[in-house]
Amino acid sequence: MNDANQVSVYSWHFMPWPYLDDDFDEKYESGWITVPNSLFDRGKMRGLYQEYLDELTEADQLGFDGVVLNEHHQNIYGMMPAPNILMGALTQTTKNCQLVVLGNLLPLHFRPLRVAEEYAMLDCMSNGRIVAGFAPGGGHEAYNYSSSMPLARERFWESVDLIIQAWTKPGPTSFESKHYSMRYVNPWPQPLQLPHPPVWIPGSNSRETLYQVARRGFCYFLSTRTKFTRAREAAQRFRSVVEEVGQTYHPDRIGLLFSVYVAETDEIAQQECGDAVFYFMRNCLKGHLRTRGRRLNNAPGGLTPESYQAFLESAQPGAKMLGDAESWDEINEMGSIFAGSPNTVFEKLWQFVEGADIGKLLIQFHIGNLSKEKTLKSQQMFAESVLPRLRSESANLYAERFPQRAEMTISA
Amino acid sequence: MNTRLLDVRGQKVELIDAGAGEPIIYLHDIWDVHTAQAGMFPFHDQLASFCSVTIPAHPGCGQSTGIADISDIEDLAFHYFDVFDALGIKAASVVGTGLGGWIAAEMAVRNPERFKRLALIGAAGVQLPDAHIADLFMYSQNRDGGIMDALRELLFADANSSLANKIVPDGRVDIADEVRRYKSLTLAGRVGWEPPYLHNRKLLSRLRRIACPSLLIWGEQDRLIPPANGVAYAAHLPGSKLIKIAGCGHSVILEKPDECLQLLKAFFKDDAITPT
Repeated sequence: MNDANQVSVYSWHFMPWPYLDDDFDEKYESGWITVPNSLFDRGKMRGLYQEYLDELTEADQLGFDGVVLNEHHQNIYGMMPAPNILMGALTQTTKNCQLVVLGNLLPLHFRPLRVAEEYAMLDCMSNGRIVAGFAPGGGHEAYNYSSSMPLARERFWESVDLIIQAWTKPGPTSFESKHYSMRYVNPWPQPLQLPHPPVWIPGSNSRETLYQVARRGFCYFLSTRTKFTRAREAAQRFRSVVEEVGQTYHPDRIGLLFSVYVAETDEIAQQECGDAVFYFMRNCLKGHLRTRGRRLNNAPGGLTPESYQAFLESAQPGAKMLGDAESWDEINEMGSIFAGSPNTVFEKLWQFVEGADIGKLLIQFHIGNLSKEKTLKSQQMFAESVLPRLRSESANLYAERFPQRAEMTISA
Repeated sequence: MNTRLLDVRGQKVELIDAGAGEPIIYLHDIWDVHTAQAGMFPFHDQLASFCSVTIPAHPGCGQSTGIADISDIEDLAFHYFDVFDALGIKAASVVGTGLGGWIAAEMAVRNPERFKRLALIGAAGVQLPDAHIADLFMYSQNRDGGIMDALRELLFADANSSLANKIVPDGRVDIADEVRRYKSLTLAGRVGWEPPYLHNRKLLSRLRRIACPSLLIWGEQDRLIPPANGVAYAAHLPGSKLIKIAGCGHSVILEKPDECLQLLKAFFKDDAITPT
């Protein structure tokens, strides 16, 4: 964790199920919700979480700014239905880095006070290193938990209000909103960080979310896999909203996810991670970022009719998604998975730092069924040959362009 | 046919009026007039040939507003009491399909005196433990970039028919219709997504309160709301009669409009049908 005026770089893990057979894509319409858990193998599971946690623990030792987990249910894409449990383990195995849960899916909680309590525990267990992510969830979550998609957004913001109140108003207090009613809000323990842990919120560009995030002083995580031009547009849109609500923009307010594999040369990199990358795209992305199968991202009611209409008008039917790529040329065209030499990977990421003013780089090193050995090799090479350069060059850039690191005016 | 906007307690309700004679309120389903398409289907034209039918669009559907006020089925029931009041209706004959049938039943158990006759077609609202209502919200989502066969399967007895493919085509329909369908599923999702899914566990035992003549029509191959739930409705609704239509799925008014209209015509015209 650092307060220097430069980019922050995080190691991200999905913790997927890496043992699917080659015919998975032929046989199943989705990696989510209905994917039969008879494919799960107890023998192969033994040690798998430990392996994944080791990879993140090493990221802390290598000097990354943080590690990131998120929450998904009943799927092979990310076996983290309860990320706070895994983060609990990482509070003990890591020493310095931020611990980012991006995020807890608030509308799935019957009593969202629980999230305030768990994050407070994690903040205490980590001596103040937790980053509290809150997410409304999309179609997969709504189907998985029979949780109403159309009601998710109003519940989400009410839950955020409840949690911030639980952390900032001396208790006991009470809380009343349309969907929640708590007679006693008085959690023990309280988080260590003041006024409360940093809050990150993922979104896919809806204006309503941008305003809420900006106004409340939170950080925005652009949750769509996207190529440079669209990421730049999104960052510009967020920046204009931040300025519109009277704040000074800093790239530290916005993050984006990339998949990265670093090796000695571009050729070696593609060769070493190729199988894992295609495993990831064919299997792990099936059901949300792949045309084949049943995509459930656009569950009805997730957007207002106006936003849905705007989405339809801007969408290009038939355009390939990340999981549709069939060659490295197509992967490179998508601009979200970078495999190459340290220099190649630096150049790809630098485009987003320099050209889009995005300052939080979230890097997925474990991809699909990549082995622990390769994951660690790539992550280490990144830490030694890409990370220092990103830091020093962004420090120079920001000294000129963003001399003031954002003062987080956190308010509920 | 005439379309108008009615002011109901500060919200707009889009109404279609058609025909002359005995007034009937038609409460629409999720894939129906105002939802699958803006205007009436041939069934509604035919209905208007023997009665005066008024078809309001649910909140958030068509040009109707006020969806933010709706978060469960009771909200919809009370919304329609307000619509009755705004229309100056003391008591009405009602036809309800699917979701609309559920709304009508929830109203009728609360204020039975406001119903003259009640016809429910493939109505949601009741679910037996072994006759689950299917996941319309998931299977309204296409596969392989645009194939809608799962939804056709839920709505029609013959999912491969030209009718099924016309009402629920593969690929994207024009944006106005896509948004219309999205709005319909959004409204349905606000009242029926969460358990109990598209039904109310307390409704069955309350049906005894309904005093007016009632008719239940079900497609024998309704895979969205299995007909066993219609049997349960009939067992609890005093003096009601369940008629199953062979070769017909959930979308009775689209798949077997003539059979359905004959039954309705007899029900609304024939004074001989009285509660037993």
